[in-house]
Amino acid sequence: MNPTAYIGVSAVLFAIGVFGAIARRNVITVLMSIELMFNAANINLVAVNRLMYTASSMGQVIALFSITIAAAEAVVGLALVLAIYKKFDTVFVENFNLLKG
Amino acid sequence: MLELTPWIFLLPFLSFSIILFFGRWLPLKGAIVGIVSISLGFILSAALFFSGVTGHLTLPYLWQVPWFSFGSYQMTLGVYVAGETVCMLFVITLVSLLVHIYSLGYMHGDPRFKRYYAFLSLFTASMLGLVLADSLFTLFACWELVGLCSYFLIGFWFEKSAAAYAGRKAFITTKLGDLGFLVGLLLLFSITGTFSIPQLQELAHGGVLPVGLTGIACLLLFCGAMGKSAQVPLFVWLPDAMEGPTPVSALIHAATMVTAGVFLVARVFFLFEINPMVLHVVAAVGAITALCAALMGLVPEDIKRVLAFSTVSQLGYMMVGMALGGPQVGMFHLTTHAMFKAMLFLGAGSVIHAVHTNDIWKMGGLRKKMPVTFVTFVIGVLALAGIFPLSGFFSKDQILHAAIASGNIPVFVLLTITAGLTAFYMSRVAVLAFFGEPRDHHAYEHAHESPIAMTLPLVVLAVPSIFLGAYLFHGETFARLIPMQLEHEVYHVSTTLVAVVSGVVALAGIVIAWLMYGARLIDYESLYSKFNLLWRFLYARMGFDGVWLFLVEAADRLAGFLAALDYHVLDQGIVDGSGSLTVLFSKIGRWFDDTIVDNLVDCWGWLFAGGGNLVRASVSGFVQNYLLYIIVGVSLILAFRIYF
Repeated sequence: MNPTAYIGVSAVLFAIGVFGAIARRNVITVLMSIELMFNAANINLVAVNRLMYTASSMGQVIALFSITIAAAEAVVGLALVLAIYKKFDTVFVENFNLLKG
Repeated sequence: MLELTPWIFLLPFLSFSIILFFGRWLPLKGAIVGIVSISLGFILSAALFFSGVTGHLTLPYLWQVPWFSFGSYQMTLGVYVAGETVCMLFVITLVSLLVHIYSLGYMHGDPRFKRYYAFLSLFTASMLGLVLADSLFTLFACWELVGLCSYFLIGFWFEKSAAAYAGRKAFITTKLGDLGFLVGLLLLFSITGTFSIPQLQELAHGGVLPVGLTGIACLLLFCGAMGKSAQVPLFVWLPDAMEGPTPVSALIHAATMVTAGVFLVARVFFLFEINPMVLHVVAAVGAITALCAALMGLVPEDIKRVLAFSTVSQLGYMMVGMALGGPQVGMFHLTTHAMFKAMLFLGAGSVIHAVHTNDIWKMGGLRKKMPVTFVTFVIGVLALAGIFPLSGFFSKDQILHAAIASGNIPVFVLLTITAGLTAFYMSRVAVLAFFGEPRDHHAYEHAHESPIAMTLPLVVLAVPSIFLGAYLFHGETFARLIPMQLEHEVYHVSTTLVAVVSGVVALAGIVIAWLMYGARLIDYESLYSKFNLLWRFLYARMGFDGVWLFLVEAADRLAGFLAALDYHVLDQGIVDGSGSLTVLFSKIGRWFDDTIVDNLVDCWGWLFAGGGNLVRASVSGFVQNYLLYIIVGVSLILAFRIYF
């Protein structure tokens, strides 16, 4: 099948992730969108590796690392959300405006 | 003997200080100190004079000490004794001594007796300093001092407003002449570079001085002489100066201060000779003065005023003698005149002391009551009129002879007429005062001969009045002292002829006066009414006073105008005005600073604050907005990188 399609999928997934990170009310959903952006980047890495650098498998290795770090970062993110929920008693982002000014 | 000359000046000066500070405790209130110091001076001066006329004196004598220097010029202090100095020393010390003695009687009981003697000493000292001075600078200083002393002495009885006025008038009128003197002195210094008289003499004889400028300088110096020696038109102070005590008039206005101007001309004659125009001017002024004063002397009723005008007239004679005959002729007349004029003044003082009035119309027949005064006064009148063989005859005739021999016929005619007038008005005074019937019986009753202190000087002065002229004239006597004489024989006229002419004129004057006032054969009352206008013109001193008052008035107005100008335009207008202008400008500056500058600064701040406020809107506190900004920014950068 057309190898360029994989890069397209990655781009579309990334765009959806961006939209979600910007435009969702629930902070958990924003975290999910960020995970989506991660996955899109991973797909992109593997696809480019398969298409252009067939001799090397570097892309796949990086993707593997990326998945690990994404998982770690998700943990951190959720810990932050828990802390915020303890303070604000809500998960909707429009209430988190202490940085205003 | 000549080395002692500085003491002639110093002794009276010291006596002035002593009398002023210690006079209260001294006998006779310090008059003794004055008399002693002047006597010593007189002895020395007489010795110098007589050894000078007998040829035993080596002149000129110079003694100088360096005083101070300015620039490259060294000023000196010292004495320079020449023939005219010796002559003046003799005259000044003799007359001053006699006036000191006379004043013991005349000023007896005056509350300011001490001050009078102090000023007499100071005056004598300054006059002696003037004649002894070796530089024109010290001469001028003494000149001014003499003027100051005359102010003090004329206005001695200053409670009388006329006396105070006369003192001021004398000082200011002579000061006007002194202004010319000062300018001339400075001009002379700029031409010659020296004030010292012997040095000036050398320069003059060396022929290196510019004729025109020296002439101008000499004319300016003569202005000073005109003021001091009462020439027309600066004579106006002398008649008024009679308000002072009579011995003061005898000293100052007969023998000393007024002769300072004549002396000056003699002293720097070598400068006056350089430009012939100067001597012509001097002769003209002298001749006019002689005639005008003689005319003015015809009318006054105050005995002293007649003598004052006579003095002015004779000073004119002296100036003519100086200019046409040289210093010998001028100084000769100065010397003889000093003797008999002082005697006349002292005699007038004696008469005033006796009848307590100056008015000759209130006198009469006093010859019986005051014989000594009468005889000496008549001697004085005859000497002044120039009757042979009294002293005035010789000196006056020398002047007349010099006038005609040098070809100045107009001057000769003026002087001869003046001689006649002189004889007339003096005889008028003598006849009215001493002859005839007393006009004021009350005054006549109380009249008596004056005390010995007053009559002794009269007798003493009578001797030189009679004999000094002949003595100095015979042989080379006076010529040994002052050898300088101008020689120009335009006309060969024998001295005998001149003597006869002047003698006839003088006798005519005396006879007419006797006929008018003594024998009453000519009716003077009808003459007065017929020539009333002329009489009033002469009585008003030919209007010179009016002219000077007008000029003074004008100067006063000018000064007032300039003062107002200075105040309103300069002080208020310019200075205050510029101050106000500065204040105005500073107010504008302040407004500018407050409104514009401050607001500009505020605007700038407001700009930033506004900008900040604008940007603050983007700091919403929502993390998602921040994420959006990031995404947009990255997209723009990527686009930028891809397409450019």
